[in-house]
Parts: sequence; C-alpha cells; structure tokens
Amino acid sequence: MSRSTAEAVPALDERIRGEPLVAQGETLASVTETVCRIVEKPHPPRAWYVAFGISAMLAGLLFAMVGYLLLEGTGVWGINVPVGWGFDITNFVFWVGIGHAGTLISAILFLFRQKWRTSINRFAEAMTIFAVVCAGLFPAIHVGRAWVEYWMFPIPNNLSMWPNFRSPLLWDVFAVSTYMIVSLLFWYMGMIPDLATLRDRARTPLRRFFYGFFSLGWRGSNRQWHRYERAYLLLAALATPLVLSVHSVVSFDFAVSLVPGWHATIFPPYFVAGAIFGGFAMVLLLIVPSREWFGLKNLITMRHLENMTKIVLATGSMVGYAYLIEIFIAWYSGNAVERFAFSNRAFGPYAWAFWTMVSCNVLLPQLFWFKRLRRSIPAILFIAVAVNIGMWFERYVIIVTSLSRDFLPSSWGHFTPTWVDLCTLLGSFGLFFTLFLLFLRFLPIVAIAEVKSVMPDAKLDRDVHHGQGDYHGDIPRQHERQFGDPEAD
Amino acid sequence: MFLETLAGASFRIAGEIGALLLAGSALAGLLVEGAAPHFWRAYLVGFAYFLSLSLGALFFVLLQHLTRSAWSVVLRRLAEGIAANMGLLAILSVPLLLFGLRSLYPWADETLAAHDPLVRAKSAYLNVPFFWVRWAVYFAVWTLTARWFLNRSVEQDRSGDVDLTLRMERASAPAMVLFAFTTTFAAFDLLMSRDPHWYSTIYGIYFFAGGVLGFLALLVAAACVTQRAGRMQRMITAEHYHDLGKLLFAFTVFWAYIAFSQYMLIWYADIPEETGWYLKRQSETWAWVSLALLVGHFFVPFLALLSRVPKRRKKMLVQVALWILAMHAIDLYYLAVPDSGVPALPPHPFYFTVFLGMAGLSVAAAGRCFRTRSLVPEKDPRLQESIAFENA
Amino acid sequence: MNGRWTTADGAPLFGLLAEFEDVDALIEGAQKVRDAGYTKWDAHTPFPVHGLDDAMGIRHTKLSYLVFAAGVFGVFAGLGLQWWTNTVDYPLIISGKPFFALPANIPVLFEVMVLFAAAAAFVGMLAFNNLPLWYHSLFKSRRFLRATDDRFFISIEARDPKFDPRATRALLTSLRGAAVEEVEE
Repeated sequence: MSRSTAEAVPALDERIRGEPLVAQGETLASVTETVCRIVEKPHPPRAWYVAFGISAMLAGLLFAMVGYLLLEGTGVWGINVPVGWGFDITNFVFWVGIGHAGTLISAILFLFRQKWRTSINRFAEAMTIFAVVCAGLFPAIHVGRAWVEYWMFPIPNNLSMWPNFRSPLLWDVFAVSTYMIVSLLFWYMGMIPDLATLRDRARTPLRRFFYGFFSLGWRGSNRQWHRYERAYLLLAALATPLVLSVHSVVSFDFAVSLVPGWHATIFPPYFVAGAIFGGFAMVLLLIVPSREWFGLKNLITMRHLENMTKIVLATGSMVGYAYLIEIFIAWYSGNAVERFAFSNRAFGPYAWAFWTMVSCNVLLPQLFWFKRLRRSIPAILFIAVAVNIGMWFERYVIIVTSLSRDFLPSSWGHFTPTWVDLCTLLGSFGLFFTLFLLFLRFLPIVAIAEVKSVMPDAKLDRDVHHGQGDYHGDIPRQHERQFGDPEAD
Repeated sequence: MFLETLAGASFRIAGEIGALLLAGSALAGLLVEGAAPHFWRAYLVGFAYFLSLSLGALFFVLLQHLTRSAWSVVLRRLAEGIAANMGLLAILSVPLLLFGLRSLYPWADETLAAHDPLVRAKSAYLNVPFFWVRWAVYFAVWTLTARWFLNRSVEQDRSGDVDLTLRMERASAPAMVLFAFTTTFAAFDLLMSRDPHWYSTIYGIYFFAGGVLGFLALLVAAACVTQRAGRMQRMITAEHYHDLGKLLFAFTVFWAYIAFSQYMLIWYADIPEETGWYLKRQSETWAWVSLALLVGHFFVPFLALLSRVPKRRKKMLVQVALWILAMHAIDLYYLAVPDSGVPALPPHPFYFTVFLGMAGLSVAAAGRCFRTRSLVPEKDPRLQESIAFENA
Repeated sequence: MNGRWTTADGAPLFGLLAEFEDVDALIEGAQKVRDAGYTKWDAHTPFPVHGLDDAMGIRHTKLSYLVFAAGVFGVFAGLGLQWWTNTVDYPLIISGKPFFALPANIPVLFEVMVLFAAAAAFVGMLAFNNLPLWYHSLFKSRRFLRATDDRFFISIEARDPKFDPRATRALLTSLRGAAVEEVEE
C-alpha cells in the first residue's frame, strides 16, 4: 500500500480535537482573577440582589408552611386515603433527583476522564448539597411527628426500640444521610485549594480568617497534592456507586410494594437516569445566568453547555426508553391490574399530568439532536425549564395515579393539592435558590485549581496524559512511520 | 511468514472442527430418541452467548464514537471484528427460528397457548410469524450497523479521510437508539419468553450488562492472543489493559447491581406470578448454579479487579477475563434452561459440543474478517494519541 | 547533624525557597533537587502538576489501603448492626420476612460501607498530609502568596541533613528560571 496518501491527511483539526476547554488568551493568573473577583467585589450585580430577595422571601414562606404544618398536622395537605403520599414525597424524590447531577459531574465524569467537567463541577456539587437539604426536609416533615425523628436512626433510646432495617423507608434514611455527608466531604475537599487561593488574596482580616480557617493551612505542597488527588479519586470511586444506590433506594420505596405501576424491576436504573436527567437540566438552568452575571464565559464555554445538552438528550432518551418498556411490559404481563394502571395514567383523570411529563421529558429534549439548538441559549433555557417541570410531574404521576386507583374500585380516591402544598413546593425552590445565591456570593464557584490543571500552562502534552480527549498540542503523525509496513499486507 | 500461514491454517481448522461439532450434535439430536429438546436448549444457550458478545462489541464501537474516545482506538478494530460476527449469527439463527421454536417456547405451541389465558392475552406479540419478522428486523439492524462501522473504518485505512471519523461519530447516536430497543426486545424474545408467564422490565438491561461484560473479557483475551501472535505489540500497552480492567470491574458491578435490583424487588414483593421464576432457579441443583453466579460472577471478579496491579498485568488480567467469559456462559445457562424443568447438573454433553462448535465457527469468521483487514484503524486521526495514552 | 542556620538578619532559618514561572522549569528543577539527594523538601503548585510525583520521587501513598480497610469494617459494622438490632435485641415480624433477611439488609450495609470508606478517605488524607496546620513558616514569604495563583515553588528545609546554606542556594540558583530567597523559621 502506498504511503503517499498520508500527506493528503489534514492536520488534526478542531473537529477532532474539540474546542479548547478554556477560551484562548486566559492565563493561570487570569483564571484566578476571574473567579476570585466574584467573591471579592464589594457588591454583587443588581440581578443577584433581586434574585436573592425573591428567593429569601420564598424560603420564609417555606418555613412558615412548615411551622403551620407542625402546629396543625398533615391534614393541612391534600393527602388522604388512599393517596397517602402527595406533594411531600413528590418533592422529596424531585429534589433528591436534582442532587444527582452534581455527583455525576464531580465523580462519574471524573472517572471517565471528561476534563470539561472542571469548569462546572463546583456549581453542580453545590447544587447537590442544597438539593439534598431541600429533599431531606420533606420526608422529615411528612412523618407528622417531626420531633421524634431520631427514632429513625439506630440510637439507643428510652423505648429500647430499634429501627426496622427491612423497611425501604429506613434505607432512605441511610442512603440520603450518607449521600449528604459524602457529597459535603467531596465538595469541601475539592474547595480546600481554592479557599487557600482566596486566603492568599484576602485584603481584610475577616476574610483572611474565614478563608484561612477553612482552607486548613493548605500550601499547595506536592506531597499533599499527591495524597489529595488519591483521596479525590477514591472519593469519586465511592461516590459513583453511592449516587446510583441513592436513587435506586428511593425507587425501592415504590418498587418493593405490590402497587400496580410501582412494582417494576426497571425502577432502579430508570430512576437513576431520570435523576441525572433532571439534575443536568437544573445545572443548565443555574449555570446559564451565572456565567452571564459573573463573566465566566471564557471558563464555561459553549462547549461545556453543548456537552451538558448532550447528556440531557442521552438521559432523556433513557427515560423515554424506560417509559416505553414499562408500558410494553404492562401490556405483556397480561395482568389486568397492571394494564389498567398504565392506561389510567395515559387516559385517566391525571392524563394531563402524564402527557405533560411525556412532552417535557421525552419529546422536547429530542430537539437537542440539532446542533443549532444545543448551542442556543434560549433553547437551552427553555428545554431546561421544561425538563424540570417534566421530572417533577414524573414523580407526581407515579405517586398519585397509582395510589388513587387502588385494587378495589371502592377504595379509589382523588388527590387535590391544598394551598399549603403549593406554597411548600414554591418555598422549597426559595430555600434552594437562597442557598445557591449565597454560595455564588461567598465561595469560589468554579474549581480554580482544577480548571488550571487542564489549561495549556499545565503542559499536558508533556507526554503523559495523551489519549485523554483534551489534548491541545499538535499530535505528530508518527504512526505512519511507526508501522510503515501495514499489518494487512 | 510462517506465523501468518500457521495462524491462517488454525483459523480454518477451528472453523472445520466447529462445523463438524455442530453438525454432529444436530445429527445426534435428530437421531437419538429424546435428545432433540436438549439439542435446542444447548443451541439457544450457545446462540445467546455469542450473540450477547457481538452485541457487546457493537455497543463498544458505538460508544467509542459517541464519546469521541481516543484511548480505545488501538482496540477498536478488534471490537469491530467481533461485532461483525453478526453475519455468522444471522445464519446460525435460521435453524433456531425454523425448527427450534416449538421445542423451546411454550407459546409457539398453538394448542397449549389456546388453553392458557395468560399466553392467549399476549399472543398478539408472542406468535411465530411475528417472531420471525422481529428477528429479521433485529438482524437487519445489527448486521447493517456492524458492517457499516467496520467498512467506514476500513475505508479510512486506505483514504485517511478525517471526515469518515466525523460521519461515524454522527451515525453512532441514532445507531445507539436502535441498538437499545433491538437488544431489549431480542432479550425478551429469546430468553424471557421461555417462560411466557413471567416478565421483568429490567430484563433487557440485564442481558445487555452481561453481554458487555462478556465482550470486554473477550476483548482482553483477543488483544492478548493477538499480541502473543506477534501483532500490535508496541501498540496495546499496559495502559490499555488497565482501562479495559477498569471497564471489566465497572461492568461486573453494573451487572451485579442490575441482577440485585431484579432479585431484590421480586423477592421483597413476593408475588407468586413473579417469584416462580426465581423459585425454579433456587430449587435442587439450580441452587448451586445461582450460588455459583453470586460468587463467581460477582465476588471473584470484584475482588480480583479491585486493586490496580492485576489490571496492569496482562497475564493476571487475561485469567480474570477467561473466568468472566466462563461465568457469562453459566449466566446464560441459568437464564435459558431452568424453565424447561430439567436439572442443572450434570449438564447435557450438547452444551459443550454445540458451544465449542459455535466458538469454532466464530473463530473462523474472525480469521476471515482479518485476513484482508488491518488489525488497527491505521489512519484514525486519534491513533497516535491512543498509542501514547497513559492513565493519569 | 541538624545544625541551626540563620538568615542574613540573624533569625532562625526555615529553609530556601525557589520560585519558577512555569511547569517545565519546575519539573526540571525538581529532578535536580531529587538527584542531589535532598529529603526534606517539597514543591508547591497552584494545581496538581502531572509528572511532578515522578520528578520528586514521591512514593505512592498508602491511603487506598486505609480506605479499603474502612470499607471492610463498614461492611461488618452495617451487617452487625442490622443483625443484632433486628434479630437479637428487638426482633419484629414484618411483611413475612425473616428477622435477618439478607437482600433487605444490603442497601443499609452498602451505605454504611461507603460512609466509612469515604470518611476514611477524607480524614486519612488530612491526617497523612498533617492538616489542618494553620501556621507554617512558608506563609511568611510574600512571594509564596502566589503559590496558590500562578507560580511554582521548590522549598528545601534547613533541617534536611544535606542542607548547607551556601551549597543549597547554589543548587537552587543554578536551576533554570529560579528566583531564590531565604525563609525564616
């Protein structure tokens, strides 16, 4: 075979290499400056104040609703017999799901060597923490007597009573608390070097004390980096199965039961895919305005947004797959009750919710097949909002349609939310955004050290790190020489 | 030169032995009284085994394009070759579809189906003509996809055209959607409908997980054999084995996660129409098979691959890979056979002869595939990056 | 051996600090310091630099073993907790399941394992790194503030047996692109 064609091969171009992760012209110092400036400026942008005002008010509404609930009891909600789970558990599953994208970005994409994650992982991890805070609230208040919450933990108490470990609701307690703790560790550990950067730039004693205290005396020592990186890898390797387990355990709450429409073996992976799907939509929703307000467009580029839309498309299609398989198997089972459960979802009293869910979760994300829409800010925002609505409705459909149609038609019921339900849901968004806006104001919102480690200054082309997808040097076309004699000959 | 001839001859001999074993088994199944059902069960297990490996390979190829992966380029042609075995499998499916259905699937027996209300309720799906149509569609999708990706890749060996890479990347996403649905329904058809009463929504994913795991093990073995034959010795490095080891580990855990999800949900709810499937698999000698899977399909590879060392040592990794390949065969035996009410132990000799027969034919097909094709995508724009790849 | 050295002002000497502007110079320098046989020295970088571990000759950390041990302990702790509470101390008949029902115990077992292992990874990292350590002599250097921004450093401590103010300074000064200064204790 002739080698002369080799010259005709164009140099490795951007189509193969991908756009740079950090826009051209950024230096190590400029990345530090861009991210730290956000925190160091005396005043955030006006939009921040407006958003914070609204969010804090809504968070206040949440606390008022929780107070009212604790005083009056769960009767203030729309739940009834047979629909014993209403907005509370819907909100719980929704918020836990949102949290999953954070760990996916920080842990799973880390293990897959997706270096583009470095610009967005801090956001996503922060979002995880706040989403889990919101999620944890709901089962806690839904039990009614929130003051005996400690019964759910294996603490020796005066009743000499232990929790029942065979109950999926207890698995939730363990899964969500473990998830909260591990996510916090992961988030905080990732932040230590960046807090040290803020410490070293601090101008006021208060800042120096605050960032100095939390950066634990980090001094960028390579002996420390070495163990730090190993710990980060280990945490990622632990967080990956953990994140799968958390939403799987949440799905067990439904799937271990006999309730038609809940008892499906596909629930664990299907819930995990849905959680990541909704979480990514939320990350997009948060990141698009943030990069606008805080001048982060060079660090969070179109490439990052496009990659996220691709993940939304992929996970949205997985969710669509699960819907279809569930419906098919419901028919295939030949079981009258199963078949009814699904036809009732699509054509029963909650059909509007079902079709909202299908349109938002399966149909609309398909628009991301088009590159133009993947790179269009309005389209991204529109679909991200739609997916969040759709994923909330998914949980609503699963919970309410199945519970409202019990095995016996005489036990059928209907769920209508009360004003308390609606205000609590709204308030939970307030709490989430309040925490998130505080994070934007006081902590390094982009992982400074990690972004630097994928920049050209990190010299990744120094012969290690080849083949990891974000190689920015010029790849010599040596392989023509390396096996000049093609093996096919 | 001598090695080349020897390798070529060994491929041919493998094919001949394989064909002989398969034909001999079929003949014995036909002639010996009462042996036919055994033959068809063995045929089903073997067919499902090699099908799952090629599907795993197809998935791998699609995934590498979808993620624009660079590290795996040196391994991709081997995967493309394994996926291209789909042609042979399409041929092997013909006897099964024409003569095996009545023996294997209760729903294919119309008189039986007529008396069973549950089977009747799903007869719109579970009937012989529609089964044929579906399998024609599955194989059309799989063979065309596998061929298309192999041919584009080989075309690039000649032209070095970067656009081919971009075309493959673009095609991989819709191909993945087709792959997901065809694989799922194929698993429902081929294995789940062996007990037409039983159903599990996760079943397709279970089959997929096992197939990808088996394929990855096969890829480790294939890379090792290729290197022992003196090929690609400087190209496939410890780094590639390390990554394959990580993937093996990941899919071992994924398989266990899916298997546990299915088991736990059915065990916990304890509905008679579902637990029957597991009851069969936990009674008498089948209990040993279940236990063997729990220990051998999960704990052994999990512990063996946990540390970094065995993933980077070719000899250790290939042992784990061969173990996983054996366990995958037991997994399919466990999925396909108990519904006939036959004891697990000792397995009928057909399971070995038919399996080896199909293995021989597959080896011959692989030899044919690589007789005229290079073992690496020679001009893939990411090849150099792949060769130089190092784990951080 | 550990002679007490002092700075030019007579303060006790912590060591010498060399500043570099880019990664390549740092790695070259680190290799030379390693080959000169120093042991109490370190490199400081704003982000983890790949290839530096080899250049410094750092041995692989044992953190993984600790995490593995913690995970194994978590498995037994999770299993033991469920077994003892639900079968010995407070047996309850629930949904026709045995008191000790392994499939139903796996989720909690798994979570406890991950919790222990993750905590061990975090705490172990801090302990091995001798953190938190809010005071360190290097923080006295003005230049060193940029170690978390865009500069790279090599520090050699005065307690290193091979340390000699003049020879060590000569070594560091000879490194490409290095700016050297003394750091007081």
